[in-house]
Amino acid sequence: MTRVCDLMHRGVLYCFPDDSAKTVAEMMATNQIRSVAVVDETGEVWGSVSMLDLLRLYGKDLENTQAQQIMRPYKIEVDPQWPVEKAIELMKKRKIEHLLIIDPHAGPKRPVGILTDFDIVRYMSDVELGVYEQMLKMLPE
Amino acid sequence: MEETVMRLMKRGAITCGGEASVREVAQIMVMNRIRYCVVVNEKHEVLGIISARSILKAFGRDLGSTKAKDILLPYTITITPSSPLSAAIDLMAKRRIEHLIVVPDRPDSRVVYGLLHGEDLIRAMAKEKEAKP
Repeated sequence: MTRVCDLMHRGVLYCFPDDSAKTVAEMMATNQIRSVAVVDETGEVWGSVSMLDLLRLYGKDLENTQAQQIMRPYKIEVDPQWPVEKAIELMKKRKIEHLLIIDPHAGPKRPVGILTDFDIVRYMSDVELGVYEQMLKMLPE
Repeated sequence: MEETVMRLMKRGAITCGGEASVREVAQIMVMNRIRYCVVVNEKHEVLGIISARSILKAFGRDLGSTKAKDILLPYTITITPSSPLSAAIDLMAKRRIEHLIVVPDRPDSRVVYGLLHGEDLIRAMAKEKEAKP
């Protein structure tokens, strides 16, 4: 059985609730990601800002908008030990493309990883992780 | 002057045929590190687009025998290079999609011209304010 923790990305990029939308946009652009977790000083997750939330602000004042104003609150709790099928059903039903995975053993809700729809596509395509990198190595210089 | 889609769009798109299986499409996506694949017919006219989310929806079906044309999002949500960026963003926000197919301005043409990615917009947002202090 494949579990959520086998497919998810470990490590979450996060910002603080009072960071500006500009900062979030820079994080997304430089790291080439599509969602950033919003975490307070104690490490507890408040929510996440996705690319679509941020796109709505295009042309508006990014400096004076805080991350907590545009984030989606964290509601859907996913345990890393769940079978993948359960997480996929959840993503299908709620029409979301990211699931934030929290550490079930820590007291505060500490994010440990992210499961994106792209991870699921990779799982379904049967392409081994790292095949792409190996192909690049095989190319002549 | 209002900015147009032309400035931020990427020319060209990675395509697959309508008869390709879902597994093939998933492999194309993973190998090319893209999240979207444009489905075209033999004449290279756009049939629709397959996103990572459409592949997700096909989970549980037989990936080898399900065809690309069964799961694609039909060719309806498109934009032209000369339309303003604000129209593109409205369209993205309303339909909750991150990529738009860009087609030429000519009404009879169904050839794919390029793609407008949400990532490109975010990159522009991150840079924009630095340019004018």
